[in-house]
Amino acid sequence: MVLVSRGFRLLILTAFAAFFIVPIVWLVLAPTKSDEALVTNGPFAFGSLGNVALAWDHLDAFSNHIYRAWIGNSLLYALGATAIVLVTGVPAGYGLALSTFPGRRLVLTLTLIVMIMPAATLVLPIFLELDALHLIGSVLSVILPFSFFPFGVYLAYIYYSTAIPRDLLDAARIDGCGEWSTFRYVALPLAKPVVALVFFFSFVADWNNFFLPYAVLADSEQYPIQVGLSNLLSSTPSFNPATGGGGQQVGIFRPELALATLLAVIPVAIVFLLSQRALVRGLVAGAVKN
Amino acid sequence: MRLLGRFASPRSKLHWLRRSLLLSLAMAVVLPAGACGDDSDKGKDSSKLTIWVDAVRLPVAEAYKKEHPDLNLDIVTYDGDGNGATTMQTKIQLWNRTGKGWPDVVFSQQVNDPVWMAQKPFEFAAPLNDLIPADLISKWPAPSTAQCTVNGKLYCVQDNLAQVVLWYNKKLMDQFGYTVPKTWQEWAALGSKVATEHPGYIVGNIGDSYGHWIYLWGNQCPLEQLNGGKLLINSADSHCTRVASMLDPLVKNGTLPPLSVFTPDFAGKYGGAADKVLMMPGPAWYAQAVFNDTLHIPAGEITAAPPLQWESETPVTTGQVGGGPWIIAKRSKNLKGAADFVIWATTVFNPSGKDARPGYPAYGPAADVWLKDMATNKYFAADPTPALKGAADKIWTGWHLVTYPDQPVWSNTVVTQLVAGKSLSSLMQPFGDALAQAAQASGYTVIRQ
Amino acid sequence: MTVTIKATGQKPVRAQVTRKRGLGTMRGLPFVLPYLPFLVAFGILPVAYAFYLAVTTDTGGWAGFDNFTRTVRDYRFLPALEHILLYTGMWLGSLIVIVVGLALLLHGRANRVTSTFRFLFYIPGALAGASSVLVWLFMLDPSVSPGSFLLRNVLGSHLFVESIAPGKLPFVFAMIAFWTGAGGWIVVMYGALNTIPHDLEEAARVDGAGPITIALRLKLPLIRKWIAYMAILAFATGTQLFVEPQLVNQASLGQVPDTWSSNQLAYQLAFRYGDFNGAAAVSVDLIAVALIAAVVVVKRTGLFRIED
Repeated sequence: MVLVSRGFRLLILTAFAAFFIVPIVWLVLAPTKSDEALVTNGPFAFGSLGNVALAWDHLDAFSNHIYRAWIGNSLLYALGATAIVLVTGVPAGYGLALSTFPGRRLVLTLTLIVMIMPAATLVLPIFLELDALHLIGSVLSVILPFSFFPFGVYLAYIYYSTAIPRDLLDAARIDGCGEWSTFRYVALPLAKPVVALVFFFSFVADWNNFFLPYAVLADSEQYPIQVGLSNLLSSTPSFNPATGGGGQQVGIFRPELALATLLAVIPVAIVFLLSQRALVRGLVAGAVKN
Repeated sequence: MRLLGRFASPRSKLHWLRRSLLLSLAMAVVLPAGACGDDSDKGKDSSKLTIWVDAVRLPVAEAYKKEHPDLNLDIVTYDGDGNGATTMQTKIQLWNRTGKGWPDVVFSQQVNDPVWMAQKPFEFAAPLNDLIPADLISKWPAPSTAQCTVNGKLYCVQDNLAQVVLWYNKKLMDQFGYTVPKTWQEWAALGSKVATEHPGYIVGNIGDSYGHWIYLWGNQCPLEQLNGGKLLINSADSHCTRVASMLDPLVKNGTLPPLSVFTPDFAGKYGGAADKVLMMPGPAWYAQAVFNDTLHIPAGEITAAPPLQWESETPVTTGQVGGGPWIIAKRSKNLKGAADFVIWATTVFNPSGKDARPGYPAYGPAADVWLKDMATNKYFAADPTPALKGAADKIWTGWHLVTYPDQPVWSNTVVTQLVAGKSLSSLMQPFGDALAQAAQASGYTVIRQ
Repeated sequence: MTVTIKATGQKPVRAQVTRKRGLGTMRGLPFVLPYLPFLVAFGILPVAYAFYLAVTTDTGGWAGFDNFTRTVRDYRFLPALEHILLYTGMWLGSLIVIVVGLALLLHGRANRVTSTFRFLFYIPGALAGASSVLVWLFMLDPSVSPGSFLLRNVLGSHLFVESIAPGKLPFVFAMIAFWTGAGGWIVVMYGALNTIPHDLEEAARVDGAGPITIALRLKLPLIRKWIAYMAILAFATGTQLFVEPQLVNQASLGQVPDTWSSNQLAYQLAFRYGDFNGAAAVSVDLIAVALIAAVVVVKRTGLFRIED
């Protein structure tokens, strides 16, 4: 009886695991096949590495190596914004956790409320705001909004509320440390897990963000990779036929599109793997998701 | 100090953290400045030319670049505003708001794009009367320049004429013993015959975003007719309903599938080895672009016949699918360079054979050269040029260009429902209603009869 | 050092009034200052600016509710609202039933296999945004998809165009959202389950309760608040849908309209018609939903306690 229920449990878990993983396996194998082979051979057939190289050549040749620019942009936006998030957010969490000042509750409540509002909610008002500041068209129009990451502040706040025992702070004060020194010698050394956590969430959120860059960037050379992928999609003949011809000259077919998607995921996957330990410890123990 | 002793080793960690934070911050500050620098330089260089083309016009732009290696050419491929996309509108809005970023030349697949580009709030297109010599402009057919004329000024020149003709597979028609139909009625009758005698073969398709331009425009259905200041959208007109009734049985029996000719599914089912396209009403540019490049139909089979007539009504009118307007931006800093390129692309560029321009050139002299080359093109079973040339001036002039795209309305209201199994006749009313809504949202006063 | 949330019901220990807590008044302010401009500029001001635009005309005059009534009467407004409500309903349903179910299944026997499954569920989360839609464009095409059998027999679509038929879209988008988001939520639910004291579970087991009874009668009620939090958040996020229909609009050659969701309508109003006031009105509608959800979560679920 126990075996049956255990087997049933395993069956359900495996079925869902297949649902989650099979598309990814397909994605990894797709660039190894040619466009016809994608249709005729099985979805899990392995083509050849030569096809991958060919697909990359086509992808790279598209619009003057713009794919590389897109990846570079995503790295710039995500890393730049995350750096600002870490520099502003971690100390803010510390200050909110361990001191009182007028408006503290207000700041915390506002942070919480905005944190819970989905990212897409404020894109259009932010666009208009940036336009009024004449920032539209500059990369700051992406980096600055990305640098506002209330979830990071909240994570730091939670962390410092629990991570720093009262006696440590008292000891610091007894030893004569001022505020900055206390932060330097007490808070910062303990910051590594929260920095890893905030880095992960901020980077992934920035890397995957579509709506904001889509709205504020007019020059396709500035697109991050997610918006670039939509640009590629609209140039793929089988998905967007040209009125007036097949558009075959562009050379972007389904294997190229699959390769583009796969490569776009790799940086996030790397960050994910690197942050695994901090994530597991932080999340599994019961932290809050944004 | 007790504290320092406890944190002696984390100190190095601290330094690492600080250093990397500072580095990232520095990078975040420095790099954007570099990127911004490029933007401001773009505007000052007046010999630079930024050209936006779709995938099909990429060879033209690249050929121009090759012929003029000393020119600073930036070729940007985009979706061509195809299938009624609003890409150009959103882009132009952004450029207008930021005050920079406009390209110099834009190619659009939407023949009505220049209409809104010339007017408020976009005001993107430059009048071409001063940029292109009048004697050149006069060599474009009058209907073509009329489509590019907004409020009396010329805002574009068309790349090609896209008159609808009847493409057919001569080899299969001979094999099955059919004669090429001259009227829509003969064509529909043939469709019913094919469904029973040769099931699986098709006499056309209705799944593309421009199906209404093929079947309704040519048959004088008033869905976009400007009368005075009002727009007539009358889908209940007999010209529309009789076409729908004619097409319904064909959609039902499978000889007129609601599938786009560009989808891999279509190519797999009817193209290539399957070779099941018996006939297909379609524009001039189907010639090599669709039959050879997209569907891979073997050589020596396809040719064109004159557009179909409705019973014995005269004059024979046909539809139009495209036209490919070239637009020069009003705020281009290199108007002369832009005009040079547009002139070259429409009047000079005219390779032969497999690399020929996919569309029937709108510019008269170029068309003559193109037709001559087409006539001897080994891909076709017979010379398609008489049909193409004959249809060039038969496009019905009762269909006017408007500021909103009607392709998405057709796709969304009609094609999706045809796929679901509804009849075209039952969809004419919703189609007309949806067109009216789109028109009103764009500021038109609509009359329905 | 593990990070934990104060479980509800626990009263935070208040420090004595006389004793300065932590760094004391005003001493912490400099640390918070660099963050404040961002909070104001990208959190508060946009909301305020959106409200301002929604009640003014394009020349700056007072418009009252005009923009709201005008956009509600737009022929695309109600269909878009209908679409996102359908979509959100399906997605919420899948989250509440499947995510909670999977988390309970995983938590029932916590071991190496469990953490492997949890990791596998989480992987698609890396593909949020445009990447996941692109993957699913292929998954929905019966000619290349590994799930073509399911597509043909369960979904009834033999061609890509049939997979994205209007009636199927809410389900398709919900499936994409589930594929990318479920993993993260499963981890959170699992974490929530971990906050249940072991002794409770032990006691129940000693009493003779089977795993299903423990899961449904013991664990499920104890994570009620978390499920509510997830549901409210999912509701707020679902109504903001933009990426998926926008990309499918491109891939479907216009058969899926570019105003399928309310956010898309706002975008078109702003960028195609230049009607920023109308776009702001629609945005405010959506912001209101998100705000209400956020306030409810913060004030009512008690999951977020701000200590004094």
